[in-house]
Amino acid sequence: MSATDGSLSAYVESTIIMTTVRVVSPFVFTFGLFVMFHGAESAGGGFQGGAIVASSIIMLAFAFGIEPTREWLDDSVIRLLVGVGATTFVGIGIGALAFDGAFLEYAAYGISHGVKYGIELVELGIGAIVAGVIVSLFMNLAGGFNHDSGGDDA
Amino acid sequence: MQLLLYGVLLTFVVFAALAVAFLRDILSAIIAFAGFSFGVAIVYILLRAPDVALTEAAVGAGVTTVLFLLAIVRTVRPGGDRLFERVAWGPAIIATGLVGVLLTTVRSLPTIGDPTSPVATSEITRYYLENAYPQTEVENVVTAILAAYRGFDTLGEAAVVLAAGLAVLVVLRKEVYV
Repeated sequence: MSATDGSLSAYVESTIIMTTVRVVSPFVFTFGLFVMFHGAESAGGGFQGGAIVASSIIMLAFAFGIEPTREWLDDSVIRLLVGVGATTFVGIGIGALAFDGAFLEYAAYGISHGVKYGIELVELGIGAIVAGVIVSLFMNLAGGFNHDSGGDDA
Repeated sequence: MQLLLYGVLLTFVVFAALAVAFLRDILSAIIAFAGFSFGVAIVYILLRAPDVALTEAAVGAGVTTVLFLLAIVRTVRPGGDRLFERVAWGPAIIATGLVGVLLTTVRSLPTIGDPTSPVATSEITRYYLENAYPQTEVENVVTAILAAYRGFDTLGEAAVVLAAGLAVLVVLRKEVYV
């Protein structure tokens, strides 16, 4: 009954799940990108799109096991994604200051349709943050404690 | 027809919530919770709030369920074959009382789609509806408000998400920052 030994003992290889995920996950991933990119014209946006993109990755981890997924998609890639997203959002905000605008005042950039592009970029940044953080939450919680980091926990 | 749909959905949502509270097996409770989130998401769609519905379906029904599943892998199932948890009467009475108090406020809510409700007639609503497209060239007013008019608040939300990710890394000691 005990499932406490070994963090991956819950994984069961299933042909049905693997086949379903193999077929479904590209569509889920694409739909997530659509929601993210098309958030300005229809329902959705960075938060929702990011969550859907992340769930397509989590699906893969469920079907094929967490360790193989971690090898395929390294933690550092996910951290880079989160970093790039946050930098985009803050960068666009601060960049407006350089053009004599207020923080996040997209119109200050002076490009035609500047506000729209600003909003789109910010949405993509949010999407990258949300997708990255959700995937990394999943991967790290699945990995559990790093016991060999030495010392007793207080 | 619409009313019937609301009735069925809300009944489902309430029973799913009760199932979450009373089911003894945590795995069953998590599945009931996913069902609850999914029902709520459909209610949001019926209420014409697709943005919120997408979030509820993706985060509430999808991601949260998976994270809960990961957490219970590390627990053991309770013994015995009772299906439901015993009711703890003290907390049950307090919870029922709280629900009763909250239900008294329902009467002061405007009816769905009421054109004279404060939200529909508010100056702010009118301002956003009239100016969001000319000022931002974005057709989805929700996105316009979130990313442009309230961009600073959204930056705060993004920071919260980022902080959650960093906190997990620190707590699970994947990275030593402190």
